[in-house]
Amino acid sequence: MSSVRPKLKPETPKSITAWETATGRTVWLKADGGWTTDTAQIAAFTGEEAEERLAAAAKQEAIITDPYFMEVTETGGITGRETLRESIRANGPTVAYGDKA
Amino acid sequence: MYRYDEFDAQIVKERVAQFRGQVERRLSGELLEDEFKPLRLQNGVYLQLHAYMLRVAIPYGQLSARQMRMLARIAREYDRNYGHFTTRQNIQFNWVALKDIPDVLALLAEVEMHAIQTSGNCIRNTTSDHYAGAARDEIMDPRPWCEIIRQWSTFHPEFAFLPRKFKIAVTGAAHDRAAIRVHDIGLHMRERDGLRGFEVHVGGGQGRTPHIAALVNEFVPEDRLLDYLEAIMRVYNLHGRRDNKYKARIKILVNELGEEEFTRQVEAEFAAQRSHEKIDLPQAEIDRIHAYFAPPELATKPDTSDAFEAAKASDKVFARWARTNLHPHVTPGYTSVTVSLKPIGGLAGDATDAQMEIIANLAETYGQDDIRVSHAQNIILAHVALDDLPALHAELDAAGLATPNESLITDLIVCPGLDYCNLANARSIPVGQAVQQVFADPDYQEDIGRLHINISGCINACGHHHVGHIGILGVDKKGEEFYQITFGGRADEKAAIGDIAGPGLKSEDVPGALKRVVDRYRELRSGKDELFIDTLGRIGHDPFKEALYAAD
Repeated sequence: MSSVRPKLKPETPKSITAWETATGRTVWLKADGGWTTDTAQIAAFTGEEAEERLAAAAKQEAIITDPYFMEVTETGGITGRETLRESIRANGPTVAYGDKA
Repeated sequence: MYRYDEFDAQIVKERVAQFRGQVERRLSGELLEDEFKPLRLQNGVYLQLHAYMLRVAIPYGQLSARQMRMLARIAREYDRNYGHFTTRQNIQFNWVALKDIPDVLALLAEVEMHAIQTSGNCIRNTTSDHYAGAARDEIMDPRPWCEIIRQWSTFHPEFAFLPRKFKIAVTGAAHDRAAIRVHDIGLHMRERDGLRGFEVHVGGGQGRTPHIAALVNEFVPEDRLLDYLEAIMRVYNLHGRRDNKYKARIKILVNELGEEEFTRQVEAEFAAQRSHEKIDLPQAEIDRIHAYFAPPELATKPDTSDAFEAAKASDKVFARWARTNLHPHVTPGYTSVTVSLKPIGGLAGDATDAQMEIIANLAETYGQDDIRVSHAQNIILAHVALDDLPALHAELDAAGLATPNESLITDLIVCPGLDYCNLANARSIPVGQAVQQVFADPDYQEDIGRLHINISGCINACGHHHVGHIGILGVDKKGEEFYQITFGGRADEKAAIGDIAGPGLKSEDVPGALKRVVDRYRELRSGKDELFIDTLGRIGHDPFKEALYAAD
């Protein structure tokens, strides 16, 4: 079951993001169909291809959990209404924590 | 404190083995997330914004040094060297990998701990007064009853799938430090005609529909408590809304039925219970549990301490901390010490593994091996000799654990917010840090006096914003964070839900706006003894709303 996030229009570029099942790390779908923890490799999809990619991702439950669409620029940069949330998912808390606090 | 018997040890061990198998099946893909989610939630495992989060139960907030050391070890070996103490007296680890969680639970079991009843729609960890068994104003120690409730509720088959989560809090002092009136059931211990019992409050809660609990019974004798709790749970289990998550808490049922009708149904269920399947706890069992909570054997001391007085006279930093962070103890010559987890600009409730080790050592050296977690996200050493305070303070100070701010304006309750939480709409931590900065001057804080500011990053209210004297609620408006301010909430025996002051503020405007409010209070208070909340009650909210929205 995907997280309930704002609905995006078909033509809006989007990435597919999820959590790595074994570790909980944030991952994104690469153009080659693999998963990455590197934001530089985020791929953008639109229209039916995006829907097909999401449906395929949802079948990879051993590897990833709860995939959903995340708004991105055409080159895969995080953008849109959920920029803050998705930036935190990508980069961690905005405050120093643990030994660094 | 309570020690596991063979049954406790066995069920926890078996639960770890069961969950290990469930995790293995999840990682192999045999279990899908929809199937696995209810199983992981029964073991305290959440999937947060950028990692799994493991919430470990700390029953009624009490820990031994050995247990604290194990938490430190888990933080060090399986997390990022820290943990977060929560508003329900638990601890959360923010970065534990699912594949490692069975090993973490096995380590916890070694020290009689687990993560059961920290999530899911069950009766959660029962919370209590963090000074329980130590406070001078306490009438009865609530911990034995918290433990009895724990044993009754853990794996109770009838209450494993409630309409929603269910939270119980118990207090044994006249002054409610456990926020019982904003719990699903709040129990206030009372004595009547030589009998011990409970004043029973039902249907309190925060979240999107905050309610102060209704008083449904002024006195339930202690040996009938479990029957009465079962009656409440049965009415809820039968009539609680399962069709709508947002209306499923017992507070909605109490409100929809009305207090009178709800109480009538509980009393009818209780009467039926009494005639058919009453639980009546044998006195021997009540006594057995109470024996675990016998007061520590403290050496007889005078009510004052020369060493303590001398340190106060010679060391201003120590004297300030002694004014703010101590609480009167029932035994002369002793005190309860708040170890502040609210350094200015820090993360409320967070402690590093090194700090946890230090607290464990200090608890053994000075504190009778008795550590408490407060719902205000601090640590308490419940029994410390006044004579030992100078040495204790020096060690706490060296570890960054001696901020002199207990219940002062910088002792904010702050939820993890959007920096960690998958439900949050806005960040809480940086706003709390910025608010702390404008009130950082300790003289200024002491002049302001007791003032609770509570922050939540969403309407679920984990940061208790509804019951803060000043509440701050983060909201999302088209991708931008705004903060709604409330005035007049309180969590004690005069519990009240705060009123929204007006439109939300941008994050950068919150600290300055609150400073104007607080300075207006300092102008308007009848004297330095009148707390902010009392000035608010005496003259109303308008002058403070005006100050909140005034231009700088």
